[in-house]
Amino acid sequence: MRVPLSWLAELVELELTPEELADRLTMLGMEVQAIERRGTDWSDVVVGELLAVEPHPRADRLSLTKVTIGHGAPLQIVCGATNIAAGQRVPVALPGAVLPGGRRIERAEKMGVTSEGMLCSGDELGLTADADGILILDGETQLGRPLAELYGDTVLDVDVKPNRGDALSIVGIAREVAASTGAEVRLPATEVEDDGAPVEGLVAVEVEDPQLCTRFVGRHVGGVTIGPSPDDVQMRLIAAGVRPVSNVVDASNYVMIELGKPIHTFDAAAVGRAAAGRARIVVRTARPGERIETLDHVVRELHPDTLLIADPGGPIGIAGVMGGAASEVSETTTDVIIESAVFDPVSIRRTAFHYGLRSEASLRFEKGQEQRLARLGADRTARLIHEWAGGSVARGRVDTNPDEPAPRTVAFRPARVDRLLGTNLGSETQRDLLRRVGISTEAEARPVTIPVAAGSAPEAVEAPAGDAVVATIPTWRRDIEIEADIAEEVARIHGYEAVPGRLPSTPMPGWRPSPLALREAVREALVGAGVTEAVTYALVSPRLVADFAWSVNPPPATGEGAREGGPITVTNPLSADHAILRHSLVGSLTQVVAGNVRHGRDDVAVFEVGKGYGRVADETVEWWRLGLALTGAFEPAAWNRPARPADVDDAKGLIELVAGVIGAGRPTYMALTDEPILHPGRSALASASDRAGRLALSGVVGELHPRLIEAWDLRVPRLIVAELSVAGLGGGGLPSVEFEAVSRFPAVERDLAVVVDEAVPAADVESAIREAGGENLRSVVLFDLYRGRPLADDERSLAFRLRFEAPDRTLTEVEVEEAIATISGALGHRVGGRIRA
Amino acid sequence: MDLAQLTRDLEALVEETRAALAAAPDTAAVEALEVEVLGKKGRLTIVLRGIGQLPAEERPLVGAVANRVRGAIEGEIGARRTELGAAELESRLRAETTDVTTPGRPIRRGSLHPSIEAMAEIARIFGQFGFVVYESPEIEDDEHNFQMLNIPPDHPARDLWDTLYVDVPGHLLRTHTSPGQIHVMRTVKPPIRALLPGRCFRYEAIDASHGTEFFQVEGLMVDEGTTLGDLRGLLDEFAHAMFGAGKKTRFRPGYYPFTEPSVAFDVECLVCGGPGCPACKRTGWMTILGAGMVHPVVLRHGGLDPERYQGFAFGMGPERISMLRHRIHDLRLFLENDLRFLGQFR
Ligand SMILES: [Zn+2]
Repeated sequence: MRVPLSWLAELVELELTPEELADRLTMLGMEVQAIERRGTDWSDVVVGELLAVEPHPRADRLSLTKVTIGHGAPLQIVCGATNIAAGQRVPVALPGAVLPGGRRIERAEKMGVTSEGMLCSGDELGLTADADGILILDGETQLGRPLAELYGDTVLDVDVKPNRGDALSIVGIAREVAASTGAEVRLPATEVEDDGAPVEGLVAVEVEDPQLCTRFVGRHVGGVTIGPSPDDVQMRLIAAGVRPVSNVVDASNYVMIELGKPIHTFDAAAVGRAAAGRARIVVRTARPGERIETLDHVVRELHPDTLLIADPGGPIGIAGVMGGAASEVSETTTDVIIESAVFDPVSIRRTAFHYGLRSEASLRFEKGQEQRLARLGADRTARLIHEWAGGSVARGRVDTNPDEPAPRTVAFRPARVDRLLGTNLGSETQRDLLRRVGISTEAEARPVTIPVAAGSAPEAVEAPAGDAVVATIPTWRRDIEIEADIAEEVARIHGYEAVPGRLPSTPMPGWRPSPLALREAVREALVGAGVTEAVTYALVSPRLVADFAWSVNPPPATGEGAREGGPITVTNPLSADHAILRHSLVGSLTQVVAGNVRHGRDDVAVFEVGKGYGRVADETVEWWRLGLALTGAFEPAAWNRPARPADVDDAKGLIELVAGVIGAGRPTYMALTDEPILHPGRSALASASDRAGRLALSGVVGELHPRLIEAWDLRVPRLIVAELSVAGLGGGGLPSVEFEAVSRFPAVERDLAVVVDEAVPAADVESAIREAGGENLRSVVLFDLYRGRPLADDERSLAFRLRFEAPDRTLTEVEVEEAIATISGALGHRVGGRIRA
Repeated sequence: MDLAQLTRDLEALVEETRAALAAAPDTAAVEALEVEVLGKKGRLTIVLRGIGQLPAEERPLVGAVANRVRGAIEGEIGARRTELGAAELESRLRAETTDVTTPGRPIRRGSLHPSIEAMAEIARIFGQFGFVVYESPEIEDDEHNFQMLNIPPDHPARDLWDTLYVDVPGHLLRTHTSPGQIHVMRTVKPPIRALLPGRCFRYEAIDASHGTEFFQVEGLMVDEGTTLGDLRGLLDEFAHAMFGAGKKTRFRPGYYPFTEPSVAFDVECLVCGGPGCPACKRTGWMTILGAGMVHPVVLRHGGLDPERYQGFAFGMGPERISMLRHRIHDLRLFLENDLRFLGQFR
């Protein structure tokens, strides 16, 4: 809401600077978002008087004027406007002046004559809508005065919250100022000289659905002369952000800004008549097949829920949203019908959304209007039209519902208000504060019903005798319904800053594990290992979803959600790039890699802890995953070290790190050869179990398929990815560590080289060793992998370091040799391996 | 062999050894000499074999001489070894000298994402005051996201949240973490001190200060006596913890359908400190969060009796907090994942 202070000052005393006023309003909840000073950009524009206006010697359309600004020699100024005459006072832009929009005025040759400045139109100064004529100032205006001193204004841009439709008006803001300063609000005059014919003979209004139109007040002004509004009116409207159109249309807009009452005016001649010759208006919903050409010259098919203003011939306006083109007030209009109505807020909101026509008017209707305002708005508009456009106002109003409901009462308990706010204001102070916003109060000695909640969960309690105060709420304050609303009003007027802060001293809730604990441990471990945390969009493009869809779906870790269900699509996406909720993280992470590579970063290691989303029937599911993406050097080159490119083993190392953090055993891998998004020879399923044997980590790791690297122009030779379900990622804590006694006896280490067929996975060899090794075999670590002579071409040798240890004794050579012999036998029959000497 | 001969031989051995030691170039030569002279089959042993041929009464005399000679030789060898050892150590240290001004072998450091880290920081601060973390779904239904929060269908307040809807009937992407209030109240009984961090979505074009996806942290405190004054006190502590002790704060009316009274909470401009600058739109203040006393309708939908229970809720954007703390000018950076940006955080 743009509030010109010149306008506001007409309704309430302003003894404050604009900054002080802005601060007061902000502290009342009417946040001033900007203070705009109008006129500061009219440097060197002063009041001048035309001494002479003569034809330009060489150009028919130009005039040559002599202008005095009260001192110095008269200026010779060339002017193209035709509305000027000697003796008028006008704005003169002197050479060097800069006008709104940055236009600089200089002494200039115009068709052979020097022009020492420029006469300004209202439009050039941003003051009025008139671009053709020079702005003619009052004859009394002091010569030589800077125009900024006369017409400069300050406009506050107030963020009026949706619950305060009443404050979408100069009157409403004036009431807030009055609440703060204690000044009186001077309401605009609404008395009308309605000495014309009785309105009943000119206009008839019928409302078919009184729920959707609770009141329609019509007035009639005959014999008007359409023309521009007075300059000062235009200046105000422009300052308030409304473009002036004509005196009649401006009058309706003026009333909307001033009173907050949207008004529509019809050309009475274009409104169809009933038999008696009266213009006949019906407020009804649209009928099948009806259409209307609205003011913006768009022909619209009407939805059956649309509330219309109609005449016997059909629709002449969409109620509360936009008028029809056919009945628009135009230059030839002589008789005007004023519509000042109250419509159902929900109906107007739906209609405005339906046609994409949300306007200043519909915004005010949506927030609800008091019945009384229909009468005031009609009267005020008639008065202004009469004042600005002449004619005669028909006597009386047509009014479909003259009942004006009495103000609502809301009972409250001052003690409860204090208990909510943490204050000790007491009943008397609270009542004084409320009085300042026009809420009158009365102590109630009898038991009374307190509205505690309203809306979708209404609730009331009985207050014992003597505890309550009954507040009478001004009709314009539709937002105050319950006791808590009164509390806010008390706090607002008392000042939020005056509410004493203190630290809570109420009972504490019991301990609860944080669902972030495990996530944080995993994130910090990965960061420590050199991987950077990314956060990518959950909403991605259909192409990303399609191209990076996993075909394998490993079971989720214990307690974690499965990846399941179909994709969830946004029905009103902002762009195709953010249209579908992702199923997996890996596609997004490849984009992070690609983005950084394009910025010249060749070595990228990123992870994300994020969600996937799916739809199962009409239910939605969300699951947490850890995603990894590596490219370039995992150990970047330095002067003392060559670069080491990232490979799948690095990703596996990170997976093993995570397994360690969450207290799981060492992960095992199984070759994955048929996952279309991964390299068939360099991919694996990874899984690890916790001590209790539950699946603690489960997912996929591998190199991205070269086809995808190319299709997405990722510009990297290789990209390693992983996506894992991790037990606890969705909100679990870190499992407690169970201590295992450390043996006091020495361990025995043995290296074992096992020759196996190329096709035998290392994991199978390792598990054969583990299972045959007996209880004293404590660890099996692969430390070398050899191919070549003297092995056969299809053979390789895997060297493991085995550690044997007993908790209660030093193992004998014999015991260890026996274990090795058992292992050797098992390797022979399980994986066809032999021990290499 | 007689005693005199034996004594001469021993003296000669001492002399020879002394000369050989003087000529020894390094400790290795000294070691070799030690073995040669004093070893089990060394020259001293050989000389002393002659003792057996001496008469029994002379043997103790020779023993004394032999011990003196052995001691002398050991002393000579030890001294020479120390001398040569020191020199050798000296030359080894000289030879091993490197340019210690070169940089070390790099260890790659990752970094935590500033959005997530800001949420963690917020949780740490409120954790000191007994707040515990909960999470609730990102895909919500209209009831939880709006209606139970006192925002009926077609309510003008819906203009505050431009919403992304999905193709699952009745569902939408949560526009704020506030539906978590309902979930928490329906999960646990007061006293409640809850924090709800998480991702939110809006139908909003992406620019320097708006995003279609962003994070939020909701706070909820409900019991039988929590007041607006408690909210003020706690938010002051938060502002001081997050932005520095002594930072001025401001408490003013705001508007949310799910709080009554509603609050906007400002901290003094972190750029200009008060006089006004472009960063604070010349007000001297920066709004860091919205808050208020939980609306009775919301308490009721949470299954709590609004006559008995009261409390506050607040909601803040971790990115905004992060932007204010680190003077980040553009919200878009948080989801671009440029390592040059991410790498600046811990
Ligand atoms: Zn500032």
